[in-house]
Amino acid sequence: MKTKECSSCWKAPLSKDEVGICKKLLGEKTKTFFCMDCLASYLDTSVEELNEKIEEFREEGCTLFK
Amino acid sequence: MKRMIYADNAATTKLDTDAFEAMLPWLQEEYGNASQPYSFARKPQKALAYARATIADCIGADADEIFFTSGGTESNNWAIKGVAYGRLSDAIITSQIEHHAILHACSAVARMGVPVHYLQVDSTGTVLPDTLVANITSDTSLVSVMMVNNEIGTIEPIRELADTAHGRGALFHTDAVQAIGHIPIDVKTLGIDMLSASAHKFNGPKGIGFLYIRKGTVIHPYADGGAQEFGMRAGTENVAAIVGMAVALRKNCDEMSETAARLRKLEDHFLGVLTNAHIDFVRNGSKNRVPGNINISIKGVNGEMLLHRLDLKGISVSTGSACDSVNTQISHVIKAIGVSSEYAEGTIRVSFGRDNTETEAVTIAEAIVQILTGRKHTSN
Repeated sequence: MKTKECSSCWKAPLSKDEVGICKKLLGEKTKTFFCMDCLASYLDTSVEELNEKIEEFREEGCTLFK
Repeated sequence: MKRMIYADNAATTKLDTDAFEAMLPWLQEEYGNASQPYSFARKPQKALAYARATIADCIGADADEIFFTSGGTESNNWAIKGVAYGRLSDAIITSQIEHHAILHACSAVARMGVPVHYLQVDSTGTVLPDTLVANITSDTSLVSVMMVNNEIGTIEPIRELADTAHGRGALFHTDAVQAIGHIPIDVKTLGIDMLSASAHKFNGPKGIGFLYIRKGTVIHPYADGGAQEFGMRAGTENVAAIVGMAVALRKNCDEMSETAARLRKLEDHFLGVLTNAHIDFVRNGSKNRVPGNINISIKGVNGEMLLHRLDLKGISVSTGSACDSVNTQISHVIKAIGVSSEYAEGTIRVSFGRDNTETEAVTIAEAIVQILTGRKHTSN
């Protein structure tokens, strides 16, 4: 799979969790990806909350985070 | 601390304060087993009788027609299986848009050889009586159609459907979990033989509900054991929960019309913000719907994305689609009413309850506008 980079700070490559949470929160067809810090800033939330969401998705068995 | 707005009252509701307080004595002080013959059991016995009579009065039934259960799922399973077990060769008719507690119970009896037919609905989610007429035969044992759909809020034509069922000698059951405490119900006027209810949908406690069974209805017992619930559903009664359920239902019924009027206003405020912001959406369901239910499908949007973005803002709503990371699964109800594919994935359900405010309704709608447009919207 092609690696993704952060559209804001250009961090690369983004981790699987970072790509997954972007798909969950920006839409599965998103072409824009962010690192955790930039996504938290973009969504006006915190990295801690994003990590909590990732854990929720993982516990639900979402394959984006396996 | 992050602000929390709860707008998923079709999923569950907050326990009413009066109901909560009414439950307390039965947990630690008057904890006697209502089935015992000594005096310590007398107060719980009286409390059960009073609760049964209160609930019966709320739906126009007699007290001995109310059977306490663990909730809507158990009541629905009892109605379907309790009839089917006695008439294995006769058909059951239900609709495509029932709750899974009905659909899966029907699947279970179908595996035993019971023929099950699923009625189509129109684009508003209404089961048309003519559709039932076309499918029912003298070999139909039971027709089960929900009173209010849990996703889109459509109120079904229960009286006409019950009349049709009776005209062919079939029983009529309705899953009224989303209806009771929210719209007026008189089981005698509507011609209902069995009705399922769950307390936590009308500000009562979780884990308790009831099945109304009209006198003379032939149905198998649900659980064998003690003589509780007139020998039909064994198990020591949860007195506290039953008392709480009765208090909550009585209160909801007493305040029903004013609550409904307030919820209609919340719907208008919410939809007004979306419309003013030119969000491209369709509202699902019939105009004859339960107060507070707003099910919308937004063009070109992923409903699950919207749900999670709202969740990050402390707003709880529901969605009509879920992603398994490979495919987006559209709910069986949204599929059945034929919402076009470009809208269907963007389905969300906002269900207001009596504790929601106009400010909250506007805040949720503005949050949706902000997520979809990337800009803050002001309604003025």
